[in-house]
Amino acid sequence: MNKPTNIFFAVLTLLFFNACSSLQVTEEAIADQSVAGVSLTPKSVAAKAVLANAVVYFEYDKFNLTSKSIQALKGVSQLMNRNPKMTLSIEGHADERGTREYNLALGQRRAESVANYLIANGIKRNRLIIKSYGEERPLSLGSNESAWSKNRRVEIK
Amino acid sequence: MNKIFILITFLFTPMFCFGELFLEITKGSEDPYKVAMIPFEGNTRISNQLQNIMRNDLIRTGEFSILDEKLLLPIKIIDDELVYKDWKLLGMDYLVTGKIVKAENSVDINYEIYDIHKKRKVRSSKVFGIPNQIRQLAHYTSDGIYESITGIKGIAATRLLYVNEIKDSKLISTYKLMLADSDGDNEKILLSSSEPIISPSWSPDGKRVAYVSFETGMAKVFIQEISSGKREAVVSKDTQISSPSWSPDGKYLSLTLYQDGNAEIYILRLRDRTLTRMTNQFAIDTESSWSPKGNKLLFTSGRSGSPQIYELDLRRFNPKPKRISFEGTYNAKASYLPNEEGIIFVHRSEDGLFHIALKYKKENFIRVLTEAKMDESPSVAPNGNMVVYGIKEGDLSMLAGFSLSGARFKLPSSDGEVREPAWSNFLR
Repeated sequence: MNKPTNIFFAVLTLLFFNACSSLQVTEEAIADQSVAGVSLTPKSVAAKAVLANAVVYFEYDKFNLTSKSIQALKGVSQLMNRNPKMTLSIEGHADERGTREYNLALGQRRAESVANYLIANGIKRNRLIIKSYGEERPLSLGSNESAWSKNRRVEIK
Repeated sequence: MNKIFILITFLFTPMFCFGELFLEITKGSEDPYKVAMIPFEGNTRISNQLQNIMRNDLIRTGEFSILDEKLLLPIKIIDDELVYKDWKLLGMDYLVTGKIVKAENSVDINYEIYDIHKKRKVRSSKVFGIPNQIRQLAHYTSDGIYESITGIKGIAATRLLYVNEIKDSKLISTYKLMLADSDGDNEKILLSSSEPIISPSWSPDGKRVAYVSFETGMAKVFIQEISSGKREAVVSKDTQISSPSWSPDGKYLSLTLYQDGNAEIYILRLRDRTLTRMTNQFAIDTESSWSPKGNKLLFTSGRSGSPQIYELDLRRFNPKPKRISFEGTYNAKASYLPNEEGIIFVHRSEDGLFHIALKYKKENFIRVLTEAKMDESPSVAPNGNMVVYGIKEGDLSMLAGFSLSGARFKLPSSDGEVREPAWSNFLR
């Protein structure tokens, strides 16, 4: 696939999200906070835009995907199917409540939920690096429901 | 093709001192032993230093009240009927005296403990070291006093491991694995990294530590020798690995491996690095910790639908985990008391707050021992009389502790957040 078509699809995907997803609110914060030091295969601007939108949020103590997050993940599986060599890191996170090791495991379960969706949509498991940061890398630092709901997430990078 | 670049800064400076933690004794117990400590003869400077450290060591246990220095009686001869009577009138139970002999390269401390009620000397001991070991000498002396009077081994000369996170002005974190004396002093950095460090654990001989570092971009368990800084990843697998706990004989580590797509507990034999899988369940299994005799493992499992504590009998073939916590919907990170009579763990109460709780084997209820909001990571002192844990005050994490006799203390830090304390074994 050549580059202009690639960008065209990504823009389409972006428009799609703008139209139907309420995840927009957190888009900027998440894009700004990509973790320093870890850099995967350089991705196109368009791919990055898709991934910035594809943050999946979870309920307290839960790791099941909601219908909203499935919408976000459709864009990711399309992106990966269009770019067969692309490898992505699926990074699970938890809020600060509960023990650190249990939260690490919970973040991993969330990452597995996302990975399983992508695998069910034709992505090979070896193209996904599944891992968790537990509660160690919060996006929002407060100790309240608003901060916690932003921290219970899976980021795709 | 995906190449991962990792930028990590390591600093191995085991000899570098800070002194970032401050001991704050917030509450003593109701009926303490009353002890008069006469300033040790021989060297006023060392004597003052010793008295301060020993006073804190003993008060922090919650079992001692030390007579104010201004109220001390002038004494020359101790073993005299009248002298005992005077101290008894002051309400004292014990009297401690001592002598410091300082040479160029050595310091000897000779101390004696008198029982005022029985009117006799109950201990005469000597500790010695080199002049820059005054803190250690004081802790050894405190432990001698504690043991003579209570009959239980003291923990002043033990040490703590913990994690310190410092954010710079741009909110970029530096994580440090720290080591300090049990009173928070004599702080040293074992590891400094730009990536998170969690779950520190002591080897039973106190010479090595195990911990989880995210330096490769994924949680991995490392072992590090304290004296040399020599470190290595314990399992060379591509998977996430965490939650190390050392067996009491030092030969095994229990770990959580994620290679099965889910957190499962394994035992690693350190000699040849062979792994044995201990759990096989689709729910989360993690936070393993050994019983003092090494024949059982405690762990946290989500198999009932919420995190609960389970026990695994390692003497049996193909053992079935037994659930041992039933109160509420969140019980996790458990460890045994040294006498195995109970477990200490994190409990979520009905109001959603997290506290440290104790459950004795013989009781069918739990005792909630703390009252802040986010109490976590309890670690029991080797004598079983004290617990250190992490609290959150405002937005700041710090260490706090309590004795089972009711005393409380805090170890606030001057710099950043402090959490996940791990109490060493006896080091004497």
